[in-house]
Amino acid sequence: MAQSSQATDGLTSIPALLQRNAQVFAAKPAYREKEFGIWQTWTWADVSREVDDLALGLINMGVNEGDFIAIIGNNRPHLYWSMVAAQSVGAIPVPLYQDAAAEEMAYVLEHCGARFAIVEDQEQVDKVIEVQDRLHQFEHMIYLDPRGLRKYDHHRLHELRHVQEQGRAARDEFTPDLAARRAKLDYASTCVMLYTSGTTGKPKGVVLSNRNIIESARNSCDFDNLRAGEEVLAYLPMAWVGDFIFSIGQAYWSGFCVNCPESTETMQSDLREIGPSYFFAPPRVFEGMLTSVMIRMEDASPLKKWLFDRFMTVAKRVGPDILDGKPVGMTDRLLYALGQIAVYGPLKNTLGFSNIRVGYTAGEAIGPEIFSFYRSLGINLKQLYGQTEATVFITVQPDGEVRADTVGVPAPGVELRIADNGEVFYRSPGVFEYYYKNPESTASTKDAEGWVATGDAGFIEPGSGHLRIIDRAKDVGKMADGSLFAPKYVENKLKFYPNILEAVVFGNGRDRCCAFINIDLQAVGNWAERNNISYSGYQELAGHPKVLDMVQAHVEEVNASVAADPMLSGCQIHRFLILHKELDADDGEMTRTRKVRRRIIEDKYADLIGALYDGSAQIATKTEVTYEDGRKGYISATLTLRDAKVFPVTPHKMAEQKVAAE
Amino acid sequence: MNAQMNALAQPQDGYTTADGRKIGPVLMEMKNITLRFGGVKAITDISFDIREGEIRAIIGPNGAGKSSMLNVISGFYVPQEGEVWYKGQKRPPMKPFQVARLGIARTFQNIALFEGMTVLDNVMTGRLNHMKSGLIAQAIWKGRAEAEEVANREVVEKVIDFLEIQAIRKTPVARLPYGLKKRVELARALAAEPSLLLLDEPMAGMNVEEKEDMSRFILDVNDEFGTTICLIEHDMGVVMDLSDRVVVMDYGKKIGDGTPDDVRSNQAVIDAYLGVAHD
Amino acid sequence: MPETLLYAIEVMTNGLMAGVLYALVALGFVLIYKASGIFNYAQGVMALFSAMTLVGIMEGRVPFSHLINAVLGTDIHHFGWHLPAVLSILMTMAVMVLLAWAVQRFIFRHLVNQEPIILFMATIGLAYFMEGFGDMMWGSDIKKLDVGLPQGMNSWIDETTYGAFGYGFFIDNLDIVAAIVAAILVAILVAFSQYTKQGRAMRAVADDHQAALSVGISLNFIWIMVWSVAGFVALVAGVMWGAKSGVQFSLSLIALKALPVLMLGGFTSIPGAIVGGLIIGVGEKLFEFFIGPMIGGATENWFAYVLALIFLVFRPQGLFGEKIIERV
Repeated sequence: MAQSSQATDGLTSIPALLQRNAQVFAAKPAYREKEFGIWQTWTWADVSREVDDLALGLINMGVNEGDFIAIIGNNRPHLYWSMVAAQSVGAIPVPLYQDAAAEEMAYVLEHCGARFAIVEDQEQVDKVIEVQDRLHQFEHMIYLDPRGLRKYDHHRLHELRHVQEQGRAARDEFTPDLAARRAKLDYASTCVMLYTSGTTGKPKGVVLSNRNIIESARNSCDFDNLRAGEEVLAYLPMAWVGDFIFSIGQAYWSGFCVNCPESTETMQSDLREIGPSYFFAPPRVFEGMLTSVMIRMEDASPLKKWLFDRFMTVAKRVGPDILDGKPVGMTDRLLYALGQIAVYGPLKNTLGFSNIRVGYTAGEAIGPEIFSFYRSLGINLKQLYGQTEATVFITVQPDGEVRADTVGVPAPGVELRIADNGEVFYRSPGVFEYYYKNPESTASTKDAEGWVATGDAGFIEPGSGHLRIIDRAKDVGKMADGSLFAPKYVENKLKFYPNILEAVVFGNGRDRCCAFINIDLQAVGNWAERNNISYSGYQELAGHPKVLDMVQAHVEEVNASVAADPMLSGCQIHRFLILHKELDADDGEMTRTRKVRRRIIEDKYADLIGALYDGSAQIATKTEVTYEDGRKGYISATLTLRDAKVFPVTPHKMAEQKVAAE
Repeated sequence: MNAQMNALAQPQDGYTTADGRKIGPVLMEMKNITLRFGGVKAITDISFDIREGEIRAIIGPNGAGKSSMLNVISGFYVPQEGEVWYKGQKRPPMKPFQVARLGIARTFQNIALFEGMTVLDNVMTGRLNHMKSGLIAQAIWKGRAEAEEVANREVVEKVIDFLEIQAIRKTPVARLPYGLKKRVELARALAAEPSLLLLDEPMAGMNVEEKEDMSRFILDVNDEFGTTICLIEHDMGVVMDLSDRVVVMDYGKKIGDGTPDDVRSNQAVIDAYLGVAHD
Repeated sequence: MPETLLYAIEVMTNGLMAGVLYALVALGFVLIYKASGIFNYAQGVMALFSAMTLVGIMEGRVPFSHLINAVLGTDIHHFGWHLPAVLSILMTMAVMVLLAWAVQRFIFRHLVNQEPIILFMATIGLAYFMEGFGDMMWGSDIKKLDVGLPQGMNSWIDETTYGAFGYGFFIDNLDIVAAIVAAILVAILVAFSQYTKQGRAMRAVADDHQAALSVGISLNFIWIMVWSVAGFVALVAGVMWGAKSGVQFSLSLIALKALPVLMLGGFTSIPGAIVGGLIIGVGEKLFEFFIGPMIGGATENWFAYVLALIFLVFRPQGLFGEKIIERV
């Protein structure tokens, strides 16, 4: 470990990296933000000044070393700077999910005992004010956007600009203090604390040190050769470890430019304008883009459609090989070049992927069709597998070894081990320090030798050495007949259909599998429009017989493909229904990162599951829903249940072999 | 700055609201307005005033003559009797476009947008009266026209940012849903930087969430730009939360005028509203 | 190259040139229709009137000379001067603006909010009034218009094509000038409507009157402006056509050819008017050339209308018109 500290030239904290960048890359753009329709740019020198002013302002307000400062809001340059300013004065930034309800925020704020919060706007100010009287250590709030806040009581409320001005005014007084605090930061000091959304239970505060962040950033930058010239778009929640690594860790390590979109809704057009060279998105973003491309092609002129279909066929056949540098025939190369001009180029431009050099997807499995669609266009999209506790990186796919069904080889510096029950363990410089105020969880996750349990079941493919993830370790169960039950494996296959947004498969300990389906309102709505099916909303569309027919066809196709995999052929879906509402984080049915909360759904919809297994053809039900503003209501519906065709089950001899193959 | 304003403002020239906003002198005064369509009286002898910085509401059941009143203020109707005073001067009978040029912008109950244009172009039309260069000048001094265009675009972008419609900047208006169209119409009116903003049923046809958004925007507009706002609503609940003073109309007559609390306890108002089914 | 193909190309080129003139007239229709919803039957007569005025001013004719001579017993016909073409065109333009103002002030101001058919009838009245008024003002003789545009066969094209194919194309210089002028005119119109304050206001009025009023646009001013612009377009068409076949009553009949052009291109689309004009121009010439001899010729009289009729059946909104969606 001591030697890696040398490898980073004594740059052992983010503020230290900032000071280096302000000298080495002084006039190079560090941040851009679209405001009033124009991209505003800050150079590294500007950023250094802004952070200094804010850090001085924080000292002026009485921030002590070791204080926790909550950061709440969308991706805005000033909020990123706030994190670095907090670090500079020896405090610990705690970014929170900006779409969390006040109650959820209250838990985190109280748990970390934040004295200060730096928030984006009125919306966040309101949420914190709602709960601040219950928070024992909470003192002051700083906001970025003054809109609508003029009339608020400003005893404990400050505008960020004023804090900076006051810091600047007190420069002479506090600069020595700031320098001293900054000098104390080293590899062991805490860089950031991130709360994991947690598929079960209360969120846990993952403490990551400067070592974790900087080592991970350095290793990953080397792996993909990321340099100061990269452009990234910061649009994923700031509370998520991935954004912290991409927009702070890697950005400060390599000195590249972070671009903040104008608003959540303009993300797609901002992406197009920026044309990032390095891009990260969870599968749902890639899915969403592909869906909108397909929808647009449905409405396109016959000529365009013809061109698109022809050239996409060519791309599918030879695109990935060309990308991987494998030999491809002259005619195909020529056709592909033609397609580049006619289809791929313009398409990549619309998507904002013209300049992309490295793209990553992670968090969930990505559909093979979606994955190969982007790769066939010549976009170097790869998969990685990671966790907050690992400072993101566990495995990554090296260039030229990219496949849809694996998550790659161990990232640089990462050791991998598969336990007897199939659970994946890892050890790396990125392994987190501890869970804040939670030694039991720390102990049960990370052992004395530094091995961390991922909670996922998987195996290492013998030939390639790539890791394959099957499912959450605790979700992998046994069917009544003892065969393997891997719900997520089937759900992912279902979700690869653009018409299906979410799926929840049941069957643990039962004799057969059944499923809940959520249709994708955009895709199915468009289909309905083209087929002259009128509907008033999600519920009506979800109950339409033709939609049921369509979903049934998808389910049966999935069954056919599941049957082909001997290990998992028991997971075919015998019966399914389309839920009358979309699964929603506000109702607790999903996490904020849109992962299904299986247990909660099982309890909440017990009547529907019962109906799936007792063979009834219809069931009437009533469900509680929570609106965005926290009010509750009920919706009731009568759902139709459908049987799906299943395919001959092949014996599962292979199963044991494969799992044991680690 | 504030102290100065206090010194200038005579007690009779304004008041301070419960939330501490300073309301200025009278901006517009309607004196004994009567409006007839043929033999039918739409408005009968109504007088009231609108003060600077105020959110003033005109409410009443359907058919009470609220919209007619707004159309009188904006010049779409010319009253047979009565006087309209604006900024301390009697306003001669005027065409709507002349009224608009005085700095009075409005929206419409049924939305009047340029459907064929993008959101940006629509909002830019709000700046037409701020474009000074003549036709010939625009052809000859291209630089000056461009500088003017940039300045106008800046104002428009601030409004777009303020109303959070950045994502639909380049979208043709015809493709937008109803709630967003209402917001674009408000944006166009705001782009004119009006001294008086008239809103004709800004919440009509909206769902609860859209109504809340619109209420917030109206309050923010008043708060941020100090714009005087006169709005019409038939939904009492919304108005009472928003406005500083309320005029209540029924069958073309004024039956109440005062703060929301005054009006709520006014017997004539209660009767008028009890006589009307909620819709 | 086979001879027939060469002929066909020549016929087509000539058709394109004729189409340009149709397009110019149709453009005038579209402008007024978009801004005010008035279908201006008088557009053709405006072209005739403007051409007559131009000739009158240029040759120094005394307006209303018949009337003056009849009432006062004098015998004056000419002022005795000859004005340069550019000056005359500017003066004619001033007359057209005056006409636009008068049309708005004395006719359409009184017809606000009337049914389209009433407005249409008013333009028919206007057309016949202007025809008579023009004759009264400038006399009903066939006038020769010479503003100095090049005329006659373009010998360069003739020689080049003769050298290349062994067959010299006959293309009139005037047609080439007409095409260039039309292109410039369209470019100016587009720039005007997209980039100037007045152009924006014009588009606004075309879209929604109420909304236009609320942002401070004077409808009256815009309508006068639009009629002036239409007058300007009519003047250009009048000059081109007048230079080709003299200023006479038949000039106003080309307006009727603009009707099928509009059916084809859509009543609200400027590019539609241009493309429609070219299609009709080329179509009728080619049809006459290939099919004409088989069915006894003179197909140019009806071809455009039949084509428009077929179009109406299959695409009533025209090539570029906004899609007509009837909601039930």
